[in-house]
Amino acid sequence: MAGTIIGQGITIEGEITSDEEVVVAGTIRGKLNVDGPVTIDAGAVVEADIGATSLAVGGTVTGNVTASERVDLLSGARLVGDVKAARLTIADGASFKGNVDMDV
Amino acid sequence: MARGSATAQSTTSEGSAVLGRGARVRGRVRGEGNLVVDGQVEGDISVTGDLAIGDGGAITGDIDAAAVIIGGALTGDVAARGAVTIRSGAKVVGSMGGAEVSIEEGASFVGRIEAEFDLPAELQGRPGAR
Repeated sequence: MAGTIIGQGITIEGEITSDEEVVVAGTIRGKLNVDGPVTIDAGAVVEADIGATSLAVGGTVTGNVTASERVDLLSGARLVGDVKAARLTIADGASFKGNVDMDV
Repeated sequence: MARGSATAQSTTSEGSAVLGRGARVRGRVRGEGNLVVDGQVEGDISVTGDLAIGDGGAITGDIDAAAVIIGGALTGDVAARGAVTIRSGAKVVGSMGGAEVSIEEGASFVGRIEAEFDLPAELQGRPGAR
């Protein structure tokens, strides 16, 4: 079970940091920094810069994303912002607008 | 007589959220459903469901929820629509307001309690009346 789960109905406005896995199904406005994997579920809305070891996006993210390992944009994901990660996949059906920097 | 239609349970879907031990939130938390805090929150929390602070959790801020169970640390006021329970081992500083407030042995509490309940008929009237 993920360390932190932000459920569908929850909105957090502010800064979130964690050293355990985070799953976001709700709404975040601010900053999200996790020393671990982050999953943004379909239906989640994140208006924040995200830092993580790995990031899987199924929902909507507006903000810059930095991952020390990898970023995966799943089908249905919407990302507007820059991506900095060693590995990146963009699935068919994902939307992405931004710059990509894979030179870590 | 059993109801015919078997629609899905109408408890708030996925209404739960957990802020795990390693999580730190600085800012406001609002939402529908229940929330369990095992991490640290600096800021106000307002949820439609219940709030539980685990024994490793610490909240600095005001709380507005249905039922509130405090097992960890809280510095701030509580406005609960349901019951407030302060568990053994908890450290609470603030005003507690709720339908009922209970403090278990071993809890540490500094603050005010305002529980809303109706006095029994014989005590109604001017407080301290002879």
